[in-house]
Amino acid sequence: MDMQKTFESALQELEVIVKELESGNVDLDNAINKYTEAMKLAKYCSEKLNNATEKVNKILTEDNELKEFKTE
Amino acid sequence: MEKEYIKISDLNNYIKSLLDKDSFLNKIYLKGEISNFKNHTRGHLYFTLKDDTSRISAVMFQSSASKLTFAPEDGMNVLVEGRISAYPAQGTYQIYVDAMEVDGLGALYIEYEKLKKKLSTLGLFASDHKVPIPKFPERIGVITAPTGAAVRDIMSTIKRRYPLCEAILFPCLVQGEHAAADIVRQIKRADAYGVDTIIVGRGGGSIEDLWAFNEECVAYAIYECETPIISAVGHEIDWTIADFVADLRAPTPTGAAEMAVPTVIDINTLIDNYKIRLNKNIKNMVNTKFIKLRNLKNSYVLKNPLSLYEIKEQKLDNLIETLNKNIKNVLQDKDNKLNKIKLSVVLQNPYNLIKDKKIKFDLLLNTLKLVNPLGILDKGYSLVEKDGKIVKSNKDININDLIAIRLHEGKLKAEVKEITN
Repeated sequence: MDMQKTFESALQELEVIVKELESGNVDLDNAINKYTEAMKLAKYCSEKLNNATEKVNKILTEDNELKEFKTE
Repeated sequence: MEKEYIKISDLNNYIKSLLDKDSFLNKIYLKGEISNFKNHTRGHLYFTLKDDTSRISAVMFQSSASKLTFAPEDGMNVLVEGRISAYPAQGTYQIYVDAMEVDGLGALYIEYEKLKKKLSTLGLFASDHKVPIPKFPERIGVITAPTGAAVRDIMSTIKRRYPLCEAILFPCLVQGEHAAADIVRQIKRADAYGVDTIIVGRGGGSIEDLWAFNEECVAYAIYECETPIISAVGHEIDWTIADFVADLRAPTPTGAAEMAVPTVIDINTLIDNYKIRLNKNIKNMVNTKFIKLRNLKNSYVLKNPLSLYEIKEQKLDNLIETLNKNIKNVLQDKDNKLNKIKLSVVLQNPYNLIKDKKIKFDLLLNTLKLVNPLGILDKGYSLVEKDGKIVKSNKDININDLIAIRLHEGKLKAEVKEITN
């Protein structure tokens, strides 16, 4: 799987596969491949979500400089 | 000295002339609250203007009243422009109002209503122009003041709910005369910078404090912004023009952050739910296929391959039987038809056919006899002919002409002795 995938696109892809499998229009070989792929996506999403380093808040200054922004 | 008594009307007219001569009273600006408001059927307005300690009668004639952009009513604070004069019949003085506008907050409120109506008509609030807010944004632009509760609420709520998302503040003025232009500038900047969602707003305040979000230029900046935009101005009860134009309106700055990002817990639940559905589905599918396979394996044919031949044999017999039956039917059918022809009336009585023709022939012969011109000689008439032509008049005949007379039996030749008419 493409590890550059964004969290959102991975989650969307996961949703699509779940719905596709539930529609019952997939043959068994294909279904097993899709299932494997979906499980990988779920793992990827969970990991990305739970191991994410917290993003710091930023401020875009008048000089177009992105600086850390701390709320009091 | 003799006391001189004058008429009341003279006095009142004198006072009126004094007032009318005073240039200060001829053009006066007055501030007060409307009371005893009466809208006369002819369009003139009569009311009293008052402040905490004093009052003055006021009249606004229809020609001026028709230019009002609002409906005056009791309790309204107004700014009026007019002149002071007396009304001699009543012995009162009053202000004749030429122009009137709403004072303070009321004026802002009316401006707000006017702009709201205008922009609504122009389609800036149309729901089909609104775009959905991304469910899982990676970067959010926050346009608000860099200090105060609003920025803190928005930034901390985003961080708490969804730490994957980067929040970038585009600091701006949120009140005062330069605020609107600053908000517009930062909306354009955030739109160009590339964020998934924009939150624009500020904390609560008076209607003047929030005013920048009621400016037309801010409304257009939000309308023209390509990035989905959530407005969050003041408290739940404050509805600014910006709220109507935005793709989504949040009741408060914290509410905007909640609408902009999901929570990690929600997403974990969602992923778990997907996993459960996937497992259930694949299990069902394998089970179904397994049962199908088992049923196929157990089928009679696969267990008794010879039965395949038995079935074919039987089918062949059926076919032969059907064929025989069909051929018999066809032969029987033809035989029936032949017998029918043999038994037909004509073939059984050929004389009938001839008899019929004979009757027809006799009938024709008689008809022929009837129309034969010579048939008439039967009855004793005769025909006179000259040179082979039938003679119809004595004019065709001269004395001594030889004529022929045709009788029923035989012919005569004769010579004409005399012609008479």
